[in-house]
Amino acid sequence: MNIKRDAWGYGCMICFSLSLLFWIIPTWTPPWPGYGMPADLVPKVAAWFILLLAALGLGRNLLILHKERASAQKATCDKEESAATRPGWLHLLIYIVPCALFMPAVALCGFIPAGIVFLLIIEFLCGQRKPVPMICVSVLPVAVVWALMRYVLNVPLP
Amino acid sequence: MLEMIFSGLATALAPLNVLFVLVGVILGMIAGAIPGVNGPMAIALCVPMSYYMSPVAAIGFLVGLNKGAFFGGSISGILINTPGTPESAATTWDGHPLALAGKGEKALRMALYASVTGDAFSTIVLILVAAPLAAVALYMGPPEIFALICMAMTIIAGLGTKSLLRGLIAAALGILIGCIGIEPVSALPRLTLDITQLERGITLIPIGIGMLAFAEIIIQLQNMPQGADAAAIKFSSKKDDKYISWHQYLGTLGTCLRSAIAGTVVGALPGLGAPVASFFAYDQAVKHSKNPESFGKGNILGVAASESANSAVVAASLIPLFTLGIPGNVASALLIGAFVIHGMIPGPLMFEQNAQFIYSIYGSLILANIFLLAAGSAGLRLFCKVVDIPSAILYPIIIFTCLLGSYMAQYSSFDVYLMLVFTVLAWFMRKFNYSIICLIIGFILAPIWETSLQQVIIASEQNPFMFLHRPVAVVLVLLSIWIVIRSYIKDRKMKKLFKN
Repeated sequence: MNIKRDAWGYGCMICFSLSLLFWIIPTWTPPWPGYGMPADLVPKVAAWFILLLAALGLGRNLLILHKERASAQKATCDKEESAATRPGWLHLLIYIVPCALFMPAVALCGFIPAGIVFLLIIEFLCGQRKPVPMICVSVLPVAVVWALMRYVLNVPLP
Repeated sequence: MLEMIFSGLATALAPLNVLFVLVGVILGMIAGAIPGVNGPMAIALCVPMSYYMSPVAAIGFLVGLNKGAFFGGSISGILINTPGTPESAATTWDGHPLALAGKGEKALRMALYASVTGDAFSTIVLILVAAPLAAVALYMGPPEIFALICMAMTIIAGLGTKSLLRGLIAAALGILIGCIGIEPVSALPRLTLDITQLERGITLIPIGIGMLAFAEIIIQLQNMPQGADAAAIKFSSKKDDKYISWHQYLGTLGTCLRSAIAGTVVGALPGLGAPVASFFAYDQAVKHSKNPESFGKGNILGVAASESANSAVVAASLIPLFTLGIPGNVASALLIGAFVIHGMIPGPLMFEQNAQFIYSIYGSLILANIFLLAAGSAGLRLFCKVVDIPSAILYPIIIFTCLLGSYMAQYSSFDVYLMLVFTVLAWFMRKFNYSIICLIIGFILAPIWETSLQQVIIASEQNPFMFLHRPVAVVLVLLSIWIVIRSYIKDRKMKKLFKN
């Protein structure tokens, strides 16, 4: 169990709930019309709930962390653990960026070329290096999906 | 009444509906057999397809998909010791040793027959129990519904996750996401951040696909499994090592039925899920066995117990959905999305307003079970080949399907971006050990929760002590508090145990 990471998680939740309570909910919630329930009641209850639970979790984790700091051995353990469970942001980013660019690319150059290029990139990222499977997997699904959307489901493509 | 039942069953037997159930079962088996692809992921990817189907065909297709995936998960579990779905983990303990001994086909057939038995049992229970329970549920007013949802979320957060605290935070986050869109009283936009597309609210599809499918694929690509090879398994040609005789099946029937009862009870309770059912049933099978030391070394009863229990969860998880409108697990939460697409809200009123539709679903459930047996028996060796598909071929296709599935829901590029946002959120939640299931169920229950709270406030003229005059609501709230305390004590005990 990574206490430090959990504490970071609770800290983020506290910041998020505070921004909800003092900025997002007051700015983007309609005023109470005078009947029924105020529109901000449920979001506020949920945000307060998150704030309280996250504060509880953070307090508990900081206490454990403080106790564990006393022992030098534990601290070494924690360091090793955090290195082993490093989140790997880059890994997330390299898959999200091509996906985020896919829809603008479809609008710009059409579904078939954009789809083929997108699949080639994703296949490369997934570790595919053989040219024949790479081409087959990028062309066939795009062609099948295009035909399905165009002639069977009548889905308008961007 | 009888006319309605027959009419419902006849609708389920319409050729197109039958075809979709069959396709669902086969696709589910394929999806479940692929390590890392599970039933909810397959359902999330296929919910957008259900737009183009009739309501009966859509639900039949998704239910078939879920049933197929539950059995499919055992294929990779038995052959390569990598369970395709978490609920098949217990199956591998005896299934894989059997496969290593050349009895892989026998283990797979046992898993299939046990799945069909467990599923048939829980389907019968669902048919017998759902309507009377729904009739009772109709007497529940807004305070009881509000308290019931609180209790369901507490159960899911407390019993279905590793940490009650993080489970409840995730559920609250789900409620907040559910609040985005048009506010029901003033009909004005709420929490939209001035983004016009958010005014119509967020649908389940980008959340389901992003959090259950795409985020899962990205995480799996990060921890790519190594060394799993189904080709290393040799199938014996001896008849006794390939087939299960009637005599052998009848010998396991007691274990199958006992496990099916456990699976049905666990499935009917929101939040516990199929893995709990299969581990519990396995444990019971070991305790009831005359030869407990043989478990874990290739005892066919271990496979039967685990598979019968986890398959019984599929139909049983529909009991709270049909009777109370509360999803028992993530698969039934996704089914709510499909119901809503077709203009129906699951709950006790469905038995009054759409009784024929309910009987059609029952028909589809029975059909799916028959198809599972038929397709599983006929194409068992073929489904085993699925395990060999390289992830470098499979994952790009799944990622492409994720993007298209999100787009197809409303023909909107915005939904694709929304899906990516939820993928990032799910990725962080997984890294920080927050429950995605709690968030999804919180999101689904948010509108019902808000509506019932609103009705309570209006009816009580802003008096929060109105709950004290409703004994059922008080009992449900007390039960929620008890679950919180119990989970906290359990959490502390586990931590002490972990420390020692």
